Amino acid sequence: MSAARVTLDRDAARRAGLDAVRAANVRPPMESGGEERVYDVALLRRLGPFARPSLVLFVVAGLMVPLIALSGLVQPLLLRAAVDAMVIEQSAAALSRVALLFGAAIVVEFIARFAQTYTLQLGGQRTVAAMRRATFEKVQRLPLAYLDRTPVGRVVTRVTNDTDAIGELFASGAVLGVADLMTVFVIFGFMLYLDVPLTLVTLAVLPVLLFVVQWVRVRARRVFRLVRAHIAQLNAYTAEQVQGMAVVQAFARERECLAEYREINAAYRDANRLSIRYDALLYSSVEGIAAVTVALVLWYGSIRAGWVEPGASAAYVGTVVAFYEYVQRLFTPIRDLSTKYTVLQSSLAAAERVLVLLDHPEEDAPRDRAASAPPPSVTGDAVLELRAVTFGYREGQRALEDVSLTLRRGERLAIVGPTGSGKTTITALAMRLYDVERGSVAIDGVDVRSLDRDALRERFAFVPQDVFLFAGTVGENVAAFAKTRDDERVRACLERVAVWDRVRERGGLEARVEERGANFSVGERQLIAFARALYLDREILVLDEATANVDSLTEARLERAVATLLEGRTAIVIAHRLSTIRNADRIVVLSKGRIVEEGTHDALLERGGLYARLHALQFAGEGSLASPAVPAGSEP
Amino acid sequence: MARGVGWLVLTQASEKAIPWLFRDGVDALLAGAFGSVAHTALWIIALALASSVVRTASRVELFDVGRDVEFDLRNALLAKLHRLGPSFYRTLTTGDIMSRATNDLQQVRLLVGFGGLNLVNSVLAFASAIGLMIVVSPRLTLLALAPYPFIALFATLFARAMYRRSNLAQAALARLAERVQEDVSGVRVVRTHRLERRQAERFEAVNRESVEHNVALVTIRGLMFPVLMGLSSIGTLIVIYRGGLMVLAGSLSVGDLVAFNAYLAQLLWPTLALGYLLSIVTRGRASYERVADVLARTPLIDEDPDARAAGDEGALCVRALSYAVDGRAVLDRVSFEVPARGSLAVVGSTGSGKSTLAALLARLLPTPAGAVFLDGEDITRLTLRSLRHAVGYAQQEPFLFSTTVERNLEFALPPDVAIGTDEARARLRVAADEAAVIEEIEAMPERFETIVGERGVQLSGGQKQRLALARALLDAPRVLVLDDPLSAVDARTEARILSGIERAAEGRTLVLVTHRIAAARRADRIIVLEEGRVQESGTHDELLARGGHYAKLAARQRLERELEAEEGAVAEGLAEGSA
Repeated sequence: MSAARVTLDRDAARRAGLDAVRAANVRPPMESGGEERVYDVALLRRLGPFARPSLVLFVVAGLMVPLIALSGLVQPLLLRAAVDAMVIEQSAAALSRVALLFGAAIVVEFIARFAQTYTLQLGGQRTVAAMRRATFEKVQRLPLAYLDRTPVGRVVTRVTNDTDAIGELFASGAVLGVADLMTVFVIFGFMLYLDVPLTLVTLAVLPVLLFVVQWVRVRARRVFRLVRAHIAQLNAYTAEQVQGMAVVQAFARERECLAEYREINAAYRDANRLSIRYDALLYSSVEGIAAVTVALVLWYGSIRAGWVEPGASAAYVGTVVAFYEYVQRLFTPIRDLSTKYTVLQSSLAAAERVLVLLDHPEEDAPRDRAASAPPPSVTGDAVLELRAVTFGYREGQRALEDVSLTLRRGERLAIVGPTGSGKTTITALAMRLYDVERGSVAIDGVDVRSLDRDALRERFAFVPQDVFLFAGTVGENVAAFAKTRDDERVRACLERVAVWDRVRERGGLEARVEERGANFSVGERQLIAFARALYLDREILVLDEATANVDSLTEARLERAVATLLEGRTAIVIAHRLSTIRNADRIVVLSKGRIVEEGTHDALLERGGLYARLHALQFAGEGSLASPAVPAGSEP
Repeated sequence: MARGVGWLVLTQASEKAIPWLFRDGVDALLAGAFGSVAHTALWIIALALASSVVRTASRVELFDVGRDVEFDLRNALLAKLHRLGPSFYRTLTTGDIMSRATNDLQQVRLLVGFGGLNLVNSVLAFASAIGLMIVVSPRLTLLALAPYPFIALFATLFARAMYRRSNLAQAALARLAERVQEDVSGVRVVRTHRLERRQAERFEAVNRESVEHNVALVTIRGLMFPVLMGLSSIGTLIVIYRGGLMVLAGSLSVGDLVAFNAYLAQLLWPTLALGYLLSIVTRGRASYERVADVLARTPLIDEDPDARAAGDEGALCVRALSYAVDGRAVLDRVSFEVPARGSLAVVGSTGSGKSTLAALLARLLPTPAGAVFLDGEDITRLTLRSLRHAVGYAQQEPFLFSTTVERNLEFALPPDVAIGTDEARARLRVAADEAAVIEEIEAMPERFETIVGERGVQLSGGQKQRLALARALLDAPRVLVLDDPLSAVDARTEARILSGIERAAEGRTLVLVTHRIAAARRADRIIVLEEGRVQESGTHDELLARGGHYAKLAARQRLERELEAEEGAVAEGLAEGSA
């Protein structure tokens, strides 16, 4: 069958002309399918704090281990008693008694198994949930610089799939691998109690079994890693083909890519076939060895009954039958130990990845205020001060260079400059999203590094350029998810920025906001974000004006809304609209991370410098002030 | 398959023979016929070894079938994906497609491999075990099998519940991922608005939900075996008690009883497997439908049955080309002509339809018939492969494969150039030089051998664009269509590259989509697209003289350039001042 299929497949390949085709050579590098590593107890101990609240559950699950072992393993013993009742005592009463005990053992085993499963899973899931919670909260405290350079998908994987893999430790029962080992020893205990020489016969087979299991295990695991590496490459290739389909099609390289894909696919299939063979070998040989053991027990039983203790054969039948049962029960845990070890390995590898994230340094804690308080500000009404600030997102790259800037109470300060000149960086440093390299940032004369982060950020209302709405309702978004919310005021704010009519059409404050506000237009999203800033009514407003193309009607609405928002407020505006800039009290012109000009609109125009040029450009076209022509990669 | 079933029959036969021999052995032991016991034991050993072999063979044979089916389906799926166009990729996300190519294919494989094995095996096991049990004692068989309908029922119910609950748990995990995704994407807003606690609470709500679903799932998973094994133990209990009474009454031997019990135990796994089988069939069928859905899609761009090869002149003619997406006109009766070895620039603002036009020229979108002609031949009548070899296309947002720079470029080498030869390497270098990217390649840690992408060196937008351009040049097409391929490259480098392209494009037709006047002015002719229509066309000087949209754009960009130069000077002056 399989041979026929392969031929068929080859025919199809020839029809597609793949034989003559040079395979494309664009497969992603192959990853190792995971290292075989020994995880130490220290790693397990780190999981302890997450498991501790569920300790009672785990203790109950642990207590069930001996109960399950005893109630289960007493059954073959009862079987012997039943046989004895038949052939030696030949008494129906004795048989009934044994049957009754057997029934009791079944019930106890069932209850104990259920109790163990339930407590273990509940505890396991609670532990996973605790880890997940800790990981999520950790993410919230990680430095922005870390999140900037880490793909979002990786962070998501840590919090979801990796913690889920830890849960598999409990769900698969791998955590009870130790209990399985214990079972093996209990079985030997029972066997020894039954008959010492017969136990020794069984033991004689054990080295063969262990050798076979180990031989297969080592190879099967190597193949398993190979399979994983191949499937990873196969999936990566598929994903790249889908993402880069336009390239594949534009170059007409479909056949070449398919030819390469078939190679990877075949390697994956072959690795799997190898894995199937080892798996089949393991199962069959364990079954086979079990059967051989049974035969040896039977045979040795006959020798004992025949020559060593003649006449006792009736007494021996029950023992042989019980051994038959024990041999079956003995081999299964030994066979499955390998599988459980694999689960354990991958769970611990996931745990390690999660712990690495949990160990990552967080945003710096506020410094001791007294120790680092800078001298009081010279100008008494300065709310925010940047003093000779130098900062870069990456080593060797400067986003800001020696920038000094003061924002006075009630002042509206506009920052103007081409893309990549460092405008957004100034606002990020003011709110301490990053720490400065040199110089200092102070609020009311106090270094932001010595302020409590929450207290610091509570003084700002921030409207970013890419407005971000959260999944939820409009009301929740405007009130920034405050526990108690003043619906009247939320509505008033939406009305003030003239977006209430649109919101009302969609169901008012309870209108659904989809993930990232995808069900609202760009203009609507901005207006809602303005309403949020109005509602929060913080001391300092930070507005990063968007440059996105919107229709002229929306543009007019936005312009009015910005004016409303800025009314009588202390604000820093990264401005792109001429009206916004004109209405500012002072303008700072930024170029390549430095302040090059500063002053009012009229004074700067008169000066005829960079600002005047930017301004002329604004009138030359209808676009924004920001120049689109910037070398790529100058800002993260 | 037939051979696999044959192996399974042999496996079952040997599996059933061993308890039967054991029965003889026990009875002989009881009767004191020790020589016969030893004889039986030897038989058991021989059979055990034989059964190991046939069991291995049957598993290998049947599981391989599943893997072969998976292999074929995978190839068919990619071949299909290659033929589908943008309209398909708009309806399905990469994630959707990937889940069909991974999870769904796995389910189909389980259906064919695991499902097939267990269906045949279960039927064989039931027939043989029950048959032998009836031979031992019909009455006891009837009694012992009493719990089995319940086992089958429970196994089915458990499998179904597990499927349902695991879907719920998976969905909860997806919602958790959404929460993290939102939190990280909006981290600036979260932090500046101090939404951390609120975000944590929202996460915790989903987290709790996930725990509930997971506990529900693993409870079923954990309950399944105790319940089913408990039920099967009831069968054993019946055998011991009723069978024991029969032994006492003399109607059954101890050996009979032991063998009978063994056969009963051998029924447990096939019964469970049947329960699993039901859920595998349900899941496998749904998965197969999702895979088949992709396989059944009809490509919008299909080759004419008697398509011809493209000519090798490179004269391009577009006549009244209109194109609409979802009823909205993107291009409206666009016409132009580019003689062989001539050049044309397409200028227009965002959304004017210039990228769509570029893609239509290489039939990467469903180009309507009778609108685009290459060397006088309607391109819809040409073979796709020859057309796309003739019309090279570099897109605005370039895609590079996660492999070395060299392999990314080799991807576009014409098939008649053997890879790895000196000629091939020389061509790569020339193309990289023309795209002004060679110096950066040489500066990379392993030069041409450097791996790019997520697991390699991260490239800037401009570097990616230039590599993609080098790739497009390597294919040596007659017509080169460049869709704003240098939007992320600074003006000075762009000028250098354009000179390079002009050299390379000598004897080649060039269509350059751009928003930069400095680039457009180099073309023989320029068309200005606005809302899908050709608004202006002519040479650079003609268009400037006309004082229309193009002239305005040119004035604005001149100012921008001056500004950039000035700004640079100012910044440099400041740097000197502070030093």
